[in-house]
Order: sequence, then C-alpha cells, then structure tokens
Amino acid sequence: MASLSSNQSNTLAQNQLIQWINDAGMAEGGRRSDLLRKIVELMLHQCSSAIPLYIDNILSYVNDKSTDVKKQVISFIEELSKLHPQYIPKIIAELRLLVSDLVIAVQKRAIQASSIVYRNTLMWICQGRAEMSEMQFVWENITQLKLLVLNMIDSDNEGIRTHSIKFLEEVVLLQTPSDGAGDEFSLDTLPANMTFINRRSLEEESEHIFKLLVKFHNSQHISSVNLMACMTTLCLLAKFRPKFMPRVIQALGDLHTTLPPTLSQSQVNSVRKHLKMLLINLIKHPSSNDMMPQLTQLLLDIGMTTQEINKVLPKEKRNKRVGELKNGDAPAKRMRIDSPQSNSQGSDSNSRSDFNMFDDDTPPAPKPPVVPTEDSLYEGINNVDNVVNLVTHTLVNHLPSEMPSNFVNVYKAIPNSGTRAQKKNLAKMLLALINNKEEPEPIAPPSTSSLSDLTSKIPLLRDDEEKVTLKNAVAKLQESTKDRQIESAVSKLMEETRQEQLKEEERKQKEKEKPVAPPTPTVPKLKQKVKLLKLQEITRPIPKEIKERLITQAVSRILNAETESAIGGVAHMRAKFITIFASSYTPELRDLVLNHILEDPANRIDLALSWLYEEYAFMQGFNRHPVTLQPKVHEKHDQNYNQLLCALITQISERGDPVMEGSKDMLLRKIYSECPVVTDEAVDYLKHLVTEEKVALLALELLEELCLMRPPRAHKYITSLVCHVLNENEEIRDVALKAVLKIYKRTSDAVRKVIEKHSLLYLGFISMPHPPHELCDSRTGRAMWTDELYHMCLNLIMALLPTNEELIIEVARVYGTAGAEAKRCVLRAVEGPVRAAAPRQATQLSPAYVALLDECPRGAETLLTRLVHIFTEKAPPSQELVSKVRELYATRVSDVRFLIPVLTGLSKKEILAALPKLIKLNPMVVKEVFNKLLGLQNPHDENSPVTPAELLVTLHLIDPSKADLKYIIKATALCFAEKQTYTQDVLSAVLQRLSEEPEIPVLMMRTVLQALTLYPALGPLVLNILQLLIEKEVWLNKVAWEGWVKCCERLVPACGALLAGLGPRPLAQAAAAPRLLAALRDHLHQMPPHHRNALPHHVLALAQQEPAPAYPAPPTPGPGMAPMSVPPPSMTPVPSSTPIPTLTPVPPPNPVEPLPPGME
Amino acid sequence: MCDIYIAVVCSSNMNRSMEAHAFLAKKGFNVKSYGTGEKVKLPGASADRPNCYEFGVPYDDIYNDLLEKDKVYYTQNGILHMLDRNRRIKPSPEKFQISTERFDVIITCEERVYDQVIEWFGSRRSVYNQPVHVVNMDIQDNHEEATIGAFLISDMVTKMAQSDDLDNDIDELLHEFEGKCHRPILNCIMFY
Repeated sequence: MASLSSNQSNTLAQNQLIQWINDAGMAEGGRRSDLLRKIVELMLHQCSSAIPLYIDNILSYVNDKSTDVKKQVISFIEELSKLHPQYIPKIIAELRLLVSDLVIAVQKRAIQASSIVYRNTLMWICQGRAEMSEMQFVWENITQLKLLVLNMIDSDNEGIRTHSIKFLEEVVLLQTPSDGAGDEFSLDTLPANMTFINRRSLEEESEHIFKLLVKFHNSQHISSVNLMACMTTLCLLAKFRPKFMPRVIQALGDLHTTLPPTLSQSQVNSVRKHLKMLLINLIKHPSSNDMMPQLTQLLLDIGMTTQEINKVLPKEKRNKRVGELKNGDAPAKRMRIDSPQSNSQGSDSNSRSDFNMFDDDTPPAPKPPVVPTEDSLYEGINNVDNVVNLVTHTLVNHLPSEMPSNFVNVYKAIPNSGTRAQKKNLAKMLLALINNKEEPEPIAPPSTSSLSDLTSKIPLLRDDEEKVTLKNAVAKLQESTKDRQIESAVSKLMEETRQEQLKEEERKQKEKEKPVAPPTPTVPKLKQKVKLLKLQEITRPIPKEIKERLITQAVSRILNAETESAIGGVAHMRAKFITIFASSYTPELRDLVLNHILEDPANRIDLALSWLYEEYAFMQGFNRHPVTLQPKVHEKHDQNYNQLLCALITQISERGDPVMEGSKDMLLRKIYSECPVVTDEAVDYLKHLVTEEKVALLALELLEELCLMRPPRAHKYITSLVCHVLNENEEIRDVALKAVLKIYKRTSDAVRKVIEKHSLLYLGFISMPHPPHELCDSRTGRAMWTDELYHMCLNLIMALLPTNEELIIEVARVYGTAGAEAKRCVLRAVEGPVRAAAPRQATQLSPAYVALLDECPRGAETLLTRLVHIFTEKAPPSQELVSKVRELYATRVSDVRFLIPVLTGLSKKEILAALPKLIKLNPMVVKEVFNKLLGLQNPHDENSPVTPAELLVTLHLIDPSKADLKYIIKATALCFAEKQTYTQDVLSAVLQRLSEEPEIPVLMMRTVLQALTLYPALGPLVLNILQLLIEKEVWLNKVAWEGWVKCCERLVPACGALLAGLGPRPLAQAAAAPRLLAALRDHLHQMPPHHRNALPHHVLALAQQEPAPAYPAPPTPGPGMAPMSVPPPSMTPVPSSTPIPTLTPVPPPNPVEPLPPGME
Repeated sequence: MCDIYIAVVCSSNMNRSMEAHAFLAKKGFNVKSYGTGEKVKLPGASADRPNCYEFGVPYDDIYNDLLEKDKVYYTQNGILHMLDRNRRIKPSPEKFQISTERFDVIITCEERVYDQVIEWFGSRRSVYNQPVHVVNMDIQDNHEEATIGAFLISDMVTKMAQSDDLDNDIDELLHEFEGKCHRPILNCIMFY
C-alpha cells in the first residue's frame, strides 16, 4: 500500500516536473529562474530517478541570457555534487565554463560553488566507485578549474578576489594532511592507488598556494574587505593545519606594523579590530599552544593589557602563560617600551626585507648557554655590554684585513636595525648557527653557502624566493595539464604578465627602501646604543620667539629669492609657499609679505592675487591643508581676506609712490576685477575714491566694470555708482549717469530694480519742500530748490524712461504732489524722452501710457495734457488715445484744453459741443484749435470730422448765453482770415445754410456783409437771401434789418427790385437812405410801364416823391444791440502778413459808403 | 544585486533594530532584525532592575506584562508604544546566533553587537562559502537616535541596493557614506 502511494506520488511529481521543464523552456528571465528553482528542488529531493533524463535540459541553461537562471544552474550543480556525486563527470565541465562567465555575479557564484564541488569531487574519488577514466577526466577538469580561480586572485573585481581567496582556502585545507582532527577530510583520506593523483605534488601545490595567500595578504594594494577575508582565511588555515601557524602569526604581525597605505582611518580601525578578534580566536585554539609567546606579544602590541589577554585565555593555558611570564618578564617589558619606535620605523621600511647580512658586522659570539634557545639569545643581544664585547672581539680577532669581494657584492644596508624584529631574527639566526654543527667556524665571516642556508630557515619570504614559489605554484599546476596546450599557453601568458608586475613592484619597493637606510655599516651599531632614546627626552622645544624669528627669516629668504626661483623654474612653487606662509602664520609674516608685494606691485600683483585666493579659500573653508597648517592665531578668516584686500587697494592708491603712480590704474583694475570677491568695504573705498579729484573717473569706471563683469553681486555694487548721479560735479554726474544707463540696459532684473529704486527715490525728492541732505551735504545750511537741483533729481529717471516706460506712472504720481516750480521742471524734462517715444505711441499706445491714462494720478492732469499733446504733434491721434482722452475728459479732467490734441479724432458732435468752450480760450490757443479743425498745418492729410462750412455755421448757431458774442465774432474772424479754406463756394454754402435757419442768427447779416465784401460775386446770392429775409419779415428783427439795409446799399443798383417788394413801412425805413431811394427810382424807371403799374401804390408814391425831403436817418442801435461792425484791424489776431479782407473793402464803387450800422 | 537580503542587529531586537526594520520594510527592502544579547532587556522601574525576557517571548506578551506592572510609567517612557509598534512588525524578538538565514548584509547598531556577530562567525566554519558584509554603525539606544539611525541605515542600504556589484563597491561605498554621515563605520566580510 505504502509503495503504491509512493509510486503514485512519484508519477505525479514526474508529471509536474515535465510540465515545469516545458514551461521553463517557454518562459523568460525571472519566471524561468523561478521554475528552474522548483525543478531542481523536485528533481533532487523527490524524483532523483529523473535526473539522468533531464540533467541535460537543465545544464543547457548554462548559456542562458539571464543571470538568475545561470545562478540556478550553479546551485543545481552544487547540490548535485553533494547529493548525487555520480553525476560529477557530467557537471564538472559546465562548472568550469561558468567560472569564466562574462557576468561577474555568475562568476562569483560559480567560484563559490567550486569549493564545494571540489570537496565533493575529492570525496567521490575516494569512494572509488566510478570508472578510472571518468575519474581522470574529472580530475583534469578540476585541476584546470583550480588554475582558473588561482589566476583570479589578481582580478580587477574585488568580489571575485574575495571568492577566490575563499576557494583557495578550501584547496589548501583539502590538499594538506590534517594533524589529528580525523573527522575532516584531508589529504590523508585520498587513496594512494590513483595513478593520476600525486599526493606529494598536491601537498606542494597547497604549500605554494598558501604562500600565494600570504603574499596577497601582505600586498600593499589590497582592499580592506579582501584583507580581512584573507586574514580570516589564514587564521582558519592556522587553526586546522597547525603547521602553518608560525607563518600565519608572522604574517599577521607584519600586517600590524605595515598596514596597506590605501586604507582610510575607519578601515584601519576595522582591520585592527578584525586582527584582534582573529588573534583572540587563535590564542583560544588548542593548536596555538606552541606559539603562545608570539601571540601574546602581538596582542600586547595591538594594545591589549595582560589582564585582558588572561581573561580571554582558556584556563589550562592561563597557568602556562603565567609561568612563561615569569621567565620572560624583562624582554616583554622592554619590547613594549621599544614598540613605538619599531612602529614608526616599520611604517617606512618593510619588515619583510632580508637582514641576514647583519652577520657580517656582528658575527655570532661563542657564548654557548647550556641550552641555547631563541629567547635566551635574544636576551643576550639585548644586553649592550654583550654586544660591545662581541663587536670588539670580532674587530680584534676576526676582521679580515681586506674586505672580501663577495661582501661588496652582497652587502645591503639593514633598514630596520635595532628593532625588536631584527634582534629576534638575529637571535634566530644565531640559534641556527649554533645548532648547525657542520659549520666549522662559527666566529668566522659566513660564506655565501651558509648565507643561503640561513635564509632558507628564516620564515620570511625573500624577494627572489617569492618569485620562485609563485612560479612553482603555477608551474606545478600547469604540469598536470600538459595535454591542454592551449589553455596552459593562455595561463602562461597571464602568469608572465603577473610576474612582470611583481618584479615591478619589488623594484619599486627596493627603491623605496634605499634612501631610508644609511649605507655606512657603523650606523646600525650607533643606533643600537641609542635605541631607547626618545625624541621627546633628548630634545627640548625651541622657544617661541626664536621659532618665530627663524620662521620670519626663512620666509624673507624665500621672498628675496625671486629671481633665483624664476631662473630655476620654480616661481610658481615659490608663490605657492609664500601664499601659504602669508595666510597661515603670524601677522608679522603677513606684513612681511604685504610689504614685499608693495615694493613692486606692478610685478608682484599676481602673487598678491594668489594670496587673496588663498585667504578666500580659508574664508570659505575650501583649504586643503592639514590641520597643523591652519591658522589658529587669527580665527576670523573672512576678516583676513577683507583686510588684505583693503590693504592692497588703499596702499596702492594712496602711497603716492611715483613708481606706482603710473600703474595705479592697471593695478586697481586688476585687483578689483580678478579678486575672488569684492567685499563691501572695498566697494565703499571705491565710492570714496570718486570724491578724490584725480581718480574719480577711474573709480567710476571701475564701479561700472564691477557691475558689468561681476553680475552676481552687481546689485550691491550698483548703489555706489548710482548715488553719483546726484554728484555736484557735472562731469561725474554725466559719467555716472551714462554708466548707470549702460548697466541698466545690459544687466539682470535685480540690478535694474536697485537702479529703479534709486531713480524713484531721487524723483521723490522733488516733492519735498526743501532739498534733502543728499543734495546739500556739501552746501552750507539748507539749500533752496533751484531748477538745477530739480533737474539733478530728474536726471536718472528721465534717462531710464525711454528704456522703461513704466516709470512714467511714478513720474506722474510725484508730479501730482510736487510744487509748481517742480512741475514746470518736470514738464520740461519729460519732453525729451516722451517726444522720442511719441512716434510709437501715436500708432499703438504702450501699456505704460495706457495705465497712466487709466489711472491719472491726482494733480497730474497738466502733465497728461502735455504728454497727449506731444504724442499728437507729429501724427494724428490713435483711436485708443482718443477714447482714453475722451473718457478722462468726461470723468476727471474738466479742462477743455485737454481735448485739443485729439480734436481731430473726436466726432463732429463732440467737437461742436465743445466749441463754445474752446473759443473762449486764449486767442493763441483758439487759433491752434481752428488750425486743427480746418486741417491747416496738417501734414498728414487727415480728414477733419468737421467741414469748414459746418464750423462756420455752428459758430453762428452758438447760443449767446453760452459764449459771449465777442468770442464768436473773433472766431468767425479767424475763419474769414483763412481765405484758402473759406472760398466763395464755401461761403455761399454757409450763407445758404444760414438763411434756411428758422430764426435769423444774430451774426448772420454781419457774415453776409463780410462775405459780400470778400467776394462781390456773391451779389446774386445775397440778393436771394435778402429776398428770403423779406419773406421772413426781416424788419421785425432790428439788428438783422439794419444789416439787411446795409446789404441793399452795397447791392445798389441791383437791389431796386428788392426794395420794390417791400411793404410800405419797411420801404419807408429803407428809403431813408438816399442811395436806396435812388436805386428804387432807377429800377422803377427801367421797368416797363405795365409792370410798373402792377406795383403797389406806396412804392410808386415813394418813387414819385422828391428825393430832397428825406426820412430821418435810422435811429442808432440801442444798447444790447449786436455790434454789426467788422472788427477793427487791431482786434484781429490774424498775422499782419496776410491781408485783412474784412477791413479792406472791395474797391468801393462809391467813395461815400456809409459805415455799417452802429459804427457811426 | 538588486535584491539584497538584509539583517539589522542590535542588542535586544527592541528599539534600534526594530526601528530600522520598520523603516526598511516600509521602503520595500527584504529585511530581518535580530538581537545578540543573552536576554531581551528593557528598562525597568530602576536602572539596576531591568525587565528581562527570553528571546522568543512574543512582543505581545511583554506588552501585556508591562501594562500590568505599571501602565502609566511604561506609557510615559514610550516602551509600550515601542512594543506596540514591534508586535505589528513581527511576533517576537529573535536571537541572531540561532538564526539559520543567510544574509547579504548584516548591519549592527553598536560595536559590542558587531563584536558578537563577528565572534559568532569566527566560532563556526563556513559551509556555503557565501560572503556576507557586516557593517557597524553606532547608534545610541534611545528613541530619537534610533529614528535617526534608521534614516541613516536606510540611506546606506539604498546605496547598496543601487550598486550593481556590491562586493566590488562596498569599500568605496562605505567610505563615501562615512564621510556623509560623520559616524565611524566598521565593516568586514564573513562567510556562511
């Protein structure tokens, strides 16, 4: 039953597996890797029977695009090697492929898997169940894999390095025999019967790899993470393979003294912490028992106290340790005193360098202790007396008279002589010599063969030895893969390049060491004697004054070396020094450098500028000097900068040095334009310079340049320039004004705002009752306003106006509140800019003016009138302007004069309505109005909305209550003066029109008379009119009647017929004029008799009367009667150049013409 | 390296690690939190009598226990609030040393905790050879500092998540971050 159900579930799982495999084939990327994960899970744990069927399906994904999929394949390989090692032959090649994948993440995962697979492979081989050929195949592959990873320790990618370290750790562990701990796999487990596996060569290989790891661990360019990984690996190896313990401790000790220089502080902390942790871990481990002293020493070096070390030690070790301490108390203490020195030296020199040559100088003394140990020897050479004895003994007894030739060749200086490490090694070498019984003469200078013997016993790697071991490591690996020629060639190539790199490194290292070590052999001895002296004990600080004096002297020497440094080509270095000195040290030095610069500023200005920049860097905190160089004496860096800048400027401009005078312009300009920032004080100084006569213009120029060239702070500089538009000196004022205007046109909004603010401020002055102090500070007492002062205040804003029309509104506002004098000045000042803007305004009113007209500030009506007037001077008003003006006239400005400029734009009705008011104005203005209305002086051919005839007619129809007759008469006179306009035709039309009026206009007859005088050809028309008037019973209107009679008199004899048509009373009145009577009679005489008889009898009666007894003359017009006279010449405003037609009657037919009525 | 698996570790898995856990989880990171101490310790009525619990005792139980002991006091010092926050995130405090998860990055909030984590790694052999970056950033154990610390950790983790190859970039990344946050950073690499 149970087997049945398990069968069933097995089938289910198989089906599921097949489905997933199919799905995975269709899916992509993430989904595929998910499926793959499930497949692997199911296959490995539930249906292992399916593995041989589908393994290829999965392995085929090795070439998938997706990283995740590849990683899944790798974990499959990993798992498979563990659970079903029989498939290792199938997967091993794939794994090799994956290790050299292009994607770094895949590579890393593959390396990670490799160590597990390697272990499993070895175990599988040990089981020995597979065929020999298969095993051999796997072994070859795995060897190549090893080689691949081994080379990766030099990869560019830190992660790959980390992984390969870990892999190599595993390799070393697996390929070394274990000492005791039997449960682990080790070299011992490998069967001896495999022909292709050579246990010994494997062990050698692991030895080489271990050395490689140690070398990598101690290399200078390792990253902190890899360093720590490497440390961990080494410690682990030391724990599990105690034979490595001494070398590992040595390596860690070396690391402690020479950490890679590339590490940052916190990385150093991390590494040290890690080191401590590892050492504690090691010391706890039973396998470290033999190395207790070294480990303890290292821990002490790191900074742990004895108590702390004891605390971490396991109990059984602690006792041992205590016993040891009793013996080695003294050296331990001395070492600690010594350690700082060794540290400081260690950072310069490499403690791994060889010091075997030391034997030449101090050959080992025959001081055989009962049982010589390294420690006892060490104590021996730590004793000064012993060493002195040893050396003197050698000098006396064993020094050859000539230097051996091989000594010259092999001798190298001892870089770390006198340090603990060196002495310890010396002790070690001595011990080796003492133990070496074959050495015939331990006192004699050792031969070269003994030298090499010695070196081989020193656990430190020598340079050339390093090369050898590395080469061996790789060569061994290559040997085993002889049949794969191509690959080995590739790796050989890689190996060669690496060797070159190593050589390069070594060479560099040697070069580094050389200068450090003094070449004389006596030095090491001396050093040995004074080795415990500390700098602090043997030296005393130099007193402050002396120190400062020395500094000053040094700096002045550098300052004086100007030409020398230029010749030597280090002028810029010198400049750099000087700037650092000047900015970072005492005020005395500052003065020194400043004076140096001022001695010859023209040539040293660059130095001054670089100093300025240095100070600026301090001020801004940009400086990159170490803390010790940063100035502590004077903390306020910003003041330093400012002081220096001001000192330079003032000194240069005020020293009055004749040499400097010539280049003053250039110097000041250079400083102002090139310094990193112009402080407020420096600008103030410039402002002050404007008041100095000689440099005023230069200062203004500089200010202008500052504003233009240093836009970010221009808004600060501009105020210093703008204030000079009020300067009392006209020249300065003009220059300042021009400069401001130039800046205004080019600059940013912020600066424009400042300029505008100032212009408005100055504009505002004019509305004050007294000039403000800005205007009269140099004048005594309170000045009074003058035109000049007003103009000064207006200068700026008027200059800005063409550029920024918006300002006109402000002008208008201030104008409204200003006094009459000020208003007059504004009107005059505004004329120029507005006139310039007028042509544009005539066609399209700009928004500023629209706003102004809309707003019309209180009191500014006159200004507005003036503006509108100027706009319309040259061009007809635009519709917009007209409508604005109309609106204003209707609401705000009651003065009719406001309308004049736009008259031609108004409608007929409006003009006619305004006419009564217009004619009341000043005669000059009235003349202008008429000129406009009649289209005179009008260059634009615009059509006046009112025809001349209409104008004249309207004048006649003006209600006398609205305008005095006097004005109307004057106005009509103006019309008549324009003969060009008021031609005969026009006048006849006018007369015609007037005669059609139901009421006879007051001035009609006067006009008729004038028209007749001007154009006698109008006679027939006038007769018609007179006739019409008769029909209107003209005699009832006294004024008109008088005119009528006068007209008749003019029209003698043609008026006879008219007279004949009069009624008896009017006729009688008319006949009172003798000429009329005569005319009547003549008319009657000429009439055919039958017509004459048809006339009314009163006519006939009058005609028959004797002319002598005449009617009395018509009565003089009473008061209130309209003056019918033509105005006398003096009253006409018409220029005298034109003839006055009204007064010069047409050649009178009758010299005794009577005066018009009312003129008698 | 878009999907890094992060552990935040403090001493009691109460305040600092939980604050960061909450913050990182909210930002969508794959995160867990742990404590390394012997016991879960919370401030008690006096400094020498802390409230101690075993790891694994649910936050909820601790909450109720303290509620019973002195509701006003533990409300005032914010402990109840913290526990309330914690029980919404996960059931109970977890001890780092018994976890079987394999992380990419472990962030510790105190040097002592960092030491304990490193020691734990040092005491066992790596099986999988999978590397893990252990990073320490000192955060004081109070509410305000925990909040600030969580922000910093989030910044750091965000940077890590943005890196294409964290193993390669970690040195530089941490160095840069250290310069920005002005706190000393310790880090090393360990293997599972």
